[in-house]
Amino acid sequence: MATKLATRGLGKSFQKDGKAIEALRGLDLDIARGEFVSIVGASGCGKTTFLRLINGLIKPTSGTVTLDGADVSAPGANIAFVFQQDGLFPWRNVLDNTVIGPELQRKDMNEARRTASSFLNLVGLRGFEKHFPHELSGGMKQRVNMARALTAGADVLLMDEPFAALDAQTREIMQAELTRIWRETGKTILFVTHQIDEAVFLSDRVLVFTVRPGRLKEEVTIDLPRPRELTLKRAPQFANYVDHIWQSIEQEVRESIRLETEATLAIAKR
Amino acid sequence: MPTSIWRGLLSFGVGAIIWEATARYLDNKLFLVPLGAIFDRFMEMARSGDLAADASVSFIEFIGGFGLAAIVGIGAGIAMSASKRIREFFDPWVSMLYATPTIALGPLFMLALGIGYGSKIALIFLTAVFPILINTVAGLTTTDRVLLEVVRSFGATRMQTYFKVRMPAALPFIIAGLRVAVARALVGVVVAELFGARAGLGFLIFRSAQVFDTAGLWVSVFILAICGVASVEFLKWVEKRMAPWRFQNIEDE
Ligand SMILES: Nc1ncnc2c1ncn2[C@@H]1O[C@H](COP(=O)(O)OP(=O)(O)OP(=O)(O)O)[C@@H](O)[C@H]1O
Ligand SMILES: [Mg+2]
Repeated sequence: MATKLATRGLGKSFQKDGKAIEALRGLDLDIARGEFVSIVGASGCGKTTFLRLINGLIKPTSGTVTLDGADVSAPGANIAFVFQQDGLFPWRNVLDNTVIGPELQRKDMNEARRTASSFLNLVGLRGFEKHFPHELSGGMKQRVNMARALTAGADVLLMDEPFAALDAQTREIMQAELTRIWRETGKTILFVTHQIDEAVFLSDRVLVFTVRPGRLKEEVTIDLPRPRELTLKRAPQFANYVDHIWQSIEQEVRESIRLETEATLAIAKR
Repeated sequence: MPTSIWRGLLSFGVGAIIWEATARYLDNKLFLVPLGAIFDRFMEMARSGDLAADASVSFIEFIGGFGLAAIVGIGAGIAMSASKRIREFFDPWVSMLYATPTIALGPLFMLALGIGYGSKIALIFLTAVFPILINTVAGLTTTDRVLLEVVRSFGATRMQTYFKVRMPAALPFIIAGLRVAVARALVGVVVAELFGARAGLGFLIFRSAQVFDTAGLWVSVFILAICGVASVEFLKWVEKRMAPWRFQNIEDE
């Protein structure tokens, strides 16, 4: 399979109060075109930092990110973020929120609006073009966010816990919707989540990160048939994957809780 | 009509009855006069043309002072929000002058600028400019970080970020600042004219009091009150139209 996105020796340190915080270290990853990859790991292990590096929002301290063989140095039209529901502009209606990508890139707006309409259709929001975000439910806002990323013309979608703020039922519906949208558009998707069953259900491959500094602990290829229905979550193989990944990060989560407690105690002592 | 308007009218009706009853019971024509008498006086003043003359003088002062405050307040706010250094340099002055009752400087302005429009406009400007300035700065510097990150991830330039995110996000703040400033500017009109004037609604209050024309005084006060309520309500309406999401939770109750 053709490599869409690759990182080599990718690392990132932040400066905070004169001290360096190493968030990520030495990541070598290859993501295939059209692949759905999830990233799981303890809180604070650098998942968001990883996505921001790939988008070019921040620059790596070491290593490289390449898209189709070319270096990613700044945010561009080829990679788009799907933000959580608070990433919509409250003063713009659904259609105007969706066309922001082409608008910022000074593309032809008539064409952009046509593209946006067809993607709004795809995510199931036909007829909501003139509604404002505050008139939508959380799930609908997330659909707008997806349509916006697709309208930007990106081949790679980065999704940082996009369904975290949704209730359990809506989240499941959105998971099914996302699989459908992914199948119909053939995009490459990098998906960060804390929900292991969500990662297994959606992905071709799940990457487990270690605690900070984030490194690749394990990668699990999910060999479940597609197209997948939500009923798959009750299949025994599904549970096996979830258990396996859970055990893989349990150690890491314990470790991160220990580190956090120590840090809190250190602050409390001062 | 929505029930809120009916309730408002009912409230005014009750107020008017209490006013009427108290005026008749007290029978003190120097303090409270019956509403009918105030209305008669209003018609009389309107017919003679005195009222129009006074109102137009106050109107010009208000538009001059408030308009200048809006232009300078928003302009300086934009400049201050553009650079942290500029902001830190001017912040102490803005905070100090905002807290100072600048109205007290009225007599000084009369001495420096005379009894005409200049001194009035200057005083009104000074009372109204700071809420606008402060809200403009606050609106432009407290933009939601997520929204800024969104446009950055789509490759926005600095200019685009300013005009497509920071400005629209700041607009409701600026309107709210204008709303506060309108009320302050109206107080400014009256006080400026009390310090010395030849005409105006504030001067009319002063003149009426001197000749024990209580009804005439109330005519002026009512006109000012109506102007104040109307302009504040208008700006509230604009705010609601432009930023409906900020009112959603309150409206839903
Ligand atoms: N701009 C920044 N400045 C300083 N430190 C940062 C910055 N961004 C992230 N960090 C630190 O880098 C580490 C990784 O952060 P990151 O947000 O990538 O974690 P995460 O895996 O996304 O966590 P979560 O699961 O809670 O979202 C954290 O320790 C965080 O405090
Ligand atoms: Mg995160």
